[in-house]
Amino acid sequence: MFWLLFYSFFKSLVGKDVVVELKNDLSICGTLHSVDQYLNIKLTDISVTDPEKYPHMLSVKNCFIRGSVVRYVQLPADEVDTQLLQDAARKEAMQQKQ
Amino acid sequence: MSELEQQDAAESCCYGERGGEDEGVMEECELEEMGEEDEEIDLYNEETFGIDLDERSDEETGDSTDILVFCGKRSPPPPPSPPPSTPTTPVPQPQVLPALSRGQRDRRVLRTGDMFEDPAVMRTVEGRPSLQSLDSAIVDSHIGSLCETLDPDTWMLSPYGRSRKALGPMLHDKAIITVIDRPDPARAPLDFLPPLRHPFATCPLRGSGKRGGQRGLHPLVRPLGQRYLSQMGPMLSRSPVRPRPAFSPPQPYMQPFTPKMMHLRFGAHSPSPAPFCSPSSHILQRFRFPGHVTQLHPQHRRLLSQRHQRSHRGDNLDPNGQLMSIKEKEWIIRLQMIQLQSENPHLDDYYYQEYYQRLEAKIAEEEMLGDKSKREPPKLTTPYVTKTETYTPVVHIEGSLGQVAVSTCFSPRRAIDAVHAAQSPEEPRFSEQEQLDSRKQRLVVLHNIEKCYMVLLEVEEAAKRKATVFSEEERERLEEKVQRRVKLIYSQLQYPANLETAEEFLPCLLVSKGKRLLARFLPFLSQDIALHVLKTVTLHLPVLMSRDVDEALPVMYPSLCTVIGRLSFSQLIGVLKGFTTTLPDSKERCLPMACQNKFGISLLYALLSQGERLLSSDTPMDAGIGDYETWTETVFLVARELSHSSLVEPLLLPSNLLSLFCRYLDKHTVHQLEDSMERSTAGCPAVPS
Repeated sequence: MFWLLFYSFFKSLVGKDVVVELKNDLSICGTLHSVDQYLNIKLTDISVTDPEKYPHMLSVKNCFIRGSVVRYVQLPADEVDTQLLQDAARKEAMQQKQ
Repeated sequence: MSELEQQDAAESCCYGERGGEDEGVMEECELEEMGEEDEEIDLYNEETFGIDLDERSDEETGDSTDILVFCGKRSPPPPPSPPPSTPTTPVPQPQVLPALSRGQRDRRVLRTGDMFEDPAVMRTVEGRPSLQSLDSAIVDSHIGSLCETLDPDTWMLSPYGRSRKALGPMLHDKAIITVIDRPDPARAPLDFLPPLRHPFATCPLRGSGKRGGQRGLHPLVRPLGQRYLSQMGPMLSRSPVRPRPAFSPPQPYMQPFTPKMMHLRFGAHSPSPAPFCSPSSHILQRFRFPGHVTQLHPQHRRLLSQRHQRSHRGDNLDPNGQLMSIKEKEWIIRLQMIQLQSENPHLDDYYYQEYYQRLEAKIAEEEMLGDKSKREPPKLTTPYVTKTETYTPVVHIEGSLGQVAVSTCFSPRRAIDAVHAAQSPEEPRFSEQEQLDSRKQRLVVLHNIEKCYMVLLEVEEAAKRKATVFSEEERERLEEKVQRRVKLIYSQLQYPANLETAEEFLPCLLVSKGKRLLARFLPFLSQDIALHVLKTVTLHLPVLMSRDVDEALPVMYPSLCTVIGRLSFSQLIGVLKGFTTTLPDSKERCLPMACQNKFGISLLYALLSQGERLLSSDTPMDAGIGDYETWTETVFLVARELSHSSLVEPLLLPSNLLSLFCRYLDKHTVHQLEDSMERSTAGCPAVPS
């Protein structure tokens, strides 16, 4: 079974605005539309956050981002329950030990 | 053969095979609808520009035989045309069905009844619900982006809500009739038809394979569905097929109702589209619009729709949306979902489940308090079935320095335990011995805390379950389990294993994680034990405050407050002594330090407030000898300290403090105190005790 901790975590953020920074230094701001177990991300209503040195993205409204190219995902802090995330991580660790 | 004959043949095919084969009937109907609508156009043209007399008469009677778009709906009265037993017309049909006898058709008439009783309506055609409402499979007609949103929704939708996934297969293959409501005739007035986008005379990419055909035909969309926009509107909105992100009122224009679609519906092995080509195009050209007040020429309507479309075009058109059929898309999604299936959703999906349970609890609470009902957060769950495999992700080979992670597709990376590495034999280096030791100690403490956390999670779950379980013995069992584990955690916290220390709790308290653990753990302790913990905290308060780098102390405040609230007077005095006694190492008392620390001062206030509450209440107090004196002394000391030093803002300011001070002190001092306290508590919530 995949490591579902962050899949579960990102599911709770669906519908929220996030900024995804890719490994090629492109940062995309958008609404999290969906996520899967590979942490592929679909964003809607995207905009490139940095000065638009990526003009080819101007007309793009929605995008699909492969999970492996993501470097960071910036989240709204009040949507995250860090204690719960810690507990979930503990449970996941417990599960994997078995 | 006249169009009417063709129409009849078409209708007959529609009526054939009533009963179980709804699917076949539906598929037939679609083709026939195409034919019928084309005939409509033809009719319109004829009426406008004149036709032969006999044909016209036929047509007129044929008019009342409204073209049945939707099988099972109103059927035409018997047409004067040749008997319906002519299925071998050039009307293309993938299956040749036996024609219904006239009697059967009559029965239909009786059953469906007359929908349009408005005398203003000259001709009525029951609008066929748009394809997309009929069959979720044919959603990719015009809403490419919607496709993307729809299909993931099959697995994103909650099982509690409308499960499109459950409906999908049914809708895809079976009778749509069972799903779609009948449009309410009493609803909005009949509107004129959406314009027809003309000719399929040229069907460019017919022969170029499945997908190509679809794409090529896309611009040649014809608005098959929805004769009556307004009627369709409500109907569609009632359709359970509607995905939750309801898109704008259905576009009636973008139905690529092509043989390609038929192909989809029939499945992978249906006959190639070739036989459909020419006759279809021929049929599609002839389109009859229903009568209403305005009868627009099809061309006109088409122009109108084009203009309308262009404004909507950008959002909906996705040329790549038809690369894969809906079935294929769903297949892929299902493949992914299989990997996500689990037998224990609460564990595998722990964060999400817990988060939403808490969110819902919060929302419910807020609703109870009278807030307007918040929108229910969307629930996204993955399907769950029995889990099959287990495996060992990490292998520890004897004598090796570390662990070997076995990477599989289930778990590509596995974190190696830090403690293992730390405990592995190291060469002692004297210069760094101390460093190593402290690091080691910290690691040991952290490891202990983590273990305690695991147990605490179990305790919390058991406690939660205890609240919901009904049987008495189950409750006892859980209670016993809870108690056992609580004892375990307590012993671990008190004197962490592998650690030589004389101080109780201190190692754990020094780590912020330990503080958090204690805060969560306190509610499970009995009052006596909790008091002991509180005393320890107070005792070590200076150390804790000075070494509280992360400012994690306040996290313990709520639980400690609860404990304080249950203290008796003598117990309270005992705790307070910790504040006023001089520290062993220095001449100072704990008090000044506490006033400068958020947690310290909050704790102090809480204690004082409890004392005041006890004193002002009517319950008799079992105060020991000298307790009252100690109390008064403490109050004086505190008051003096508070008025002299600048105070930090406490976490919570109990409101009975001032009355306490009023009793013991002169007015002047009280005012001073009041000022200094208020100065510090600019934004602090005041709590009535």
